[in-house]
Amino acid sequence: MIEIWHGFLKAIELIVTLNPEVLEITGRSLLISASSCIIATFICLPLGSLIHLNNFKGKRALINLIQTFYSIPTVAVGLLVFLLFSRAGPLGFMNLLFTPTIMVVGQVILISPIILGLVIAALSGIDRAVPETAIATGANNFQAATLVIREARYAIYSAIIMGFGRAISEVGLALMVGGNIRGYTRIITTAISLETSKGDIELSIALGIILIVLALVINIVLNRLQQR
Amino acid sequence: MINRLGKVLSLALILITLVTFVIGCAKTERPSPPTEPKVTPQAPQYPIHSATTRFRIATTTSLYDTGLWYYLEPMFEEYASVEMDIVYAGTGIALEYGRCGDVDAVVVHSRVDEDKFIAEGYGINRRYFAYNFFLIAGPETDPTAIKGLAAIDAFKKIAEEGIKNPDIVKFVSRGDQSGTHVKEQGVWQKAGYKYEDIQKSGKWYVEAGKGMEPCLLMASEQQAYILTDISTFTAYKGKLSLVSLVEAEEPTFLNVYAVMAINPDKVPTTKIDVANKFINWLISPEVQNILGTYGKAEFGKPLFRPTSDGSCQMEGCPTVEEYSKTVP
Amino acid sequence: MTLIEAVDVNQKYGDRFVLKNVNLRIDQSEVFALIGPTGAGKTTFLRILDLIDRPYSGEIYFNGLNITATKKEQLNARRRMSYVQQKPIVFNMSVYDNIACGLIWRHKKLGEVRKKTEEVLELVGMVDYMKRNAKTLSGGEMQRVAIARALITEPQLLFLDEPTANMDPVSTAKIEKVLEGILQEHRISVIMATHDMSQGQRLAGKVGVMINGELLQVGTPGNIFNQPHNREVAEFVGTENILNGEVVSKDENMTLIKVGDKVINAVSDYQVGEKVLVLIRPENIVFALQRETSSARNNFKGKVNRIDTTGPLVRIEVDCGFPLLGVVTKQAAQELNISIGKEIYASFKATAIHTLKRWA
Repeated sequence: MIEIWHGFLKAIELIVTLNPEVLEITGRSLLISASSCIIATFICLPLGSLIHLNNFKGKRALINLIQTFYSIPTVAVGLLVFLLFSRAGPLGFMNLLFTPTIMVVGQVILISPIILGLVIAALSGIDRAVPETAIATGANNFQAATLVIREARYAIYSAIIMGFGRAISEVGLALMVGGNIRGYTRIITTAISLETSKGDIELSIALGIILIVLALVINIVLNRLQQR
Repeated sequence: MINRLGKVLSLALILITLVTFVIGCAKTERPSPPTEPKVTPQAPQYPIHSATTRFRIATTTSLYDTGLWYYLEPMFEEYASVEMDIVYAGTGIALEYGRCGDVDAVVVHSRVDEDKFIAEGYGINRRYFAYNFFLIAGPETDPTAIKGLAAIDAFKKIAEEGIKNPDIVKFVSRGDQSGTHVKEQGVWQKAGYKYEDIQKSGKWYVEAGKGMEPCLLMASEQQAYILTDISTFTAYKGKLSLVSLVEAEEPTFLNVYAVMAINPDKVPTTKIDVANKFINWLISPEVQNILGTYGKAEFGKPLFRPTSDGSCQMEGCPTVEEYSKTVP
Repeated sequence: MTLIEAVDVNQKYGDRFVLKNVNLRIDQSEVFALIGPTGAGKTTFLRILDLIDRPYSGEIYFNGLNITATKKEQLNARRRMSYVQQKPIVFNMSVYDNIACGLIWRHKKLGEVRKKTEEVLELVGMVDYMKRNAKTLSGGEMQRVAIARALITEPQLLFLDEPTANMDPVSTAKIEKVLEGILQEHRISVIMATHDMSQGQRLAGKVGVMINGELLQVGTPGNIFNQPHNREVAEFVGTENILNGEVVSKDENMTLIKVGDKVINAVSDYQVGEKVLVLIRPENIVFALQRETSSARNNFKGKVNRIDTTGPLVRIEVDCGFPLLGVVTKQAAQELNISIGKEIYASFKATAIHTLKRWA
């Protein structure tokens, strides 16, 4: 117990003195997760609009499929990406394994179902009459879709933030495809898993505190958005 | 009023996050290695890659967790002007990375697996650069009184007592086909047991399926016996309530570390020139000296013994050629 | 000149036909009210006319062009029409932005957008609300924004789908005033659907009655209300006295119709022996305490069966040998000292009677 308390104090010290390793790991985590979140949004927002605003055979089945992948295990995605990008694999020539880039790719795959599904849900919350009115008022399809997105903007922000939350807190994928290389692909979650297994609790606790604070910030922002 | 406070708080938190983000992205200093004589750079004999070349090695978890690589990495990076990436996994997986060409060199300590790797044509230029011994660690109370026994006798006694009193006598095994695990299986065999029998013989035998230190922690929690290499044990002794009971410097417990380059003829994507440079650097006199002193300051005694000092003279030790001949 | 024409339009939902062979022609600057009970198919029909939905069969012609055919024609036609929905739809932005949308989507210059938006805001009386978020408005205010948004694109044809349904009388009156103002100022054609027939009567020059997917009668409000073509229309427009009768005698001026055991004087084209329905609007019944000599040819004594007060009016049901329903003001009812069971005289003019052929 006392050990843990000492560890806790040391952790606070690491944070307050802006320990370079802590900062580096935190900064990298944010960069990787933010990048994957932005890229996934760029893909899923138009895709979600297309799926929502059009009726086609199997639409229901597609949406069900997307929702099934909300909680796909991170190691499953990790395995898939690893097999694809290993030098022995089909995309090995890109030389991306064990780099931060591949972690972004993996996280994009991981969080896309969530963002896509929640975007569709957000758009579904907007009355059909809205795009109809827009089109009746002379908007073309793109303008009408943009309007619906604008109307649903708060729910869409929530979707994006949820995606970010999942990206920054996952460990299985980052470990498998990033390799937890010190100074290169080590992020908060993989560092915590390594340090804890080694019994090195100060850094773990420090990073854990940061992760919790991040989760808290995310939650607060999400709450305020969902109230609008 | 509360609304306003909430807004300010959220904004503050977001700002802190952003600031951390920005600082973290800026280049940060590496934690500096302990003060030791710097390695004098050799005259370059191979084409030097620009500093943006990434040289990747795979190593085993037990070696990684001794912290040796944190120590050696910046030295080699400066020496060879490369960026070195170190991934860690159990021996089996580390070699698999090598087979797929995801790394350029591997550093392991399991002769059986190494031989297979070389026979398959993947590994070349193996050199042994360090060695130490395994030991049996266990609770201070030592319920089976194995302290000071020879390796095989100790194992026999643990098994006998464990089967009789599984609540008091326990043994934690790596259970992950790592170098340590393979070594452990070999000792059971020498002690006259079939490994499958040991696995089925009772709950005194715990197969953890984890890396070295998680297993050490588990053994510490459960006050169990465990086979471990001296380097990892010494590095983590402070966190464990285990003591070293059987430190037999005999061939059964010999633990030799080898480095191999991945054969570019078999896996064309690897950087053979940097790998060879790395191998030669590891067996160079300067680095061998450093290896011999690593850990002395923090833990009281060095964690590794360099092969080049010729002190390894028993069965299983590498030949002079195997440890000192530089790679062309 | 014909602006829009529907020819033999049918619509199906699943197995059910919700529009059956609807034909309609609307001219330029005509204000047409489509009245009918809820679920009659009015919205369905309007959506087909505005090209939001495709009909099961039939054609729509706009300015003479068959627009059910090609997509390009459809887009052009749609840009000349505007639609105001039953439920007020506003976007989650300021009132100004809501209205300016249509012009911005057509890539108009900002200066022009500003000018036109302010003009149309003036027209609907919402200038003070310009910067407010449209979602914070009341239903009536939202609907005015919707109307403004529909008008800013200067359509040739404006569809109003039950614009004041679900609104309180004050808001309804405000909207009707706005609509009246627009109709007077601009030469816009309007097709409005409403279940409130008096609203249709007030605002429109031509009225159509749609019941159960069929357009049963089209004509002036006077025509519809006083000379319904069949029983269903009659019932819908509030002709509450529908009596079974038979023509017993006829001369050049008057037709005598036997209803029950009484005889009614009417003006009718039906011949002796024909079975007819006798339709009398309740407003045309005059009640008196004594048999008065008046120009009314029909004067019957009866007993008051039922008295209902609805708002400022009192409905009195009298049994004269056949049931007769009339409507008087509260004050008149007081003066008559109406009570149940009281004997009273009901009279109505021969010209107030409308006859229809009876099949059963």
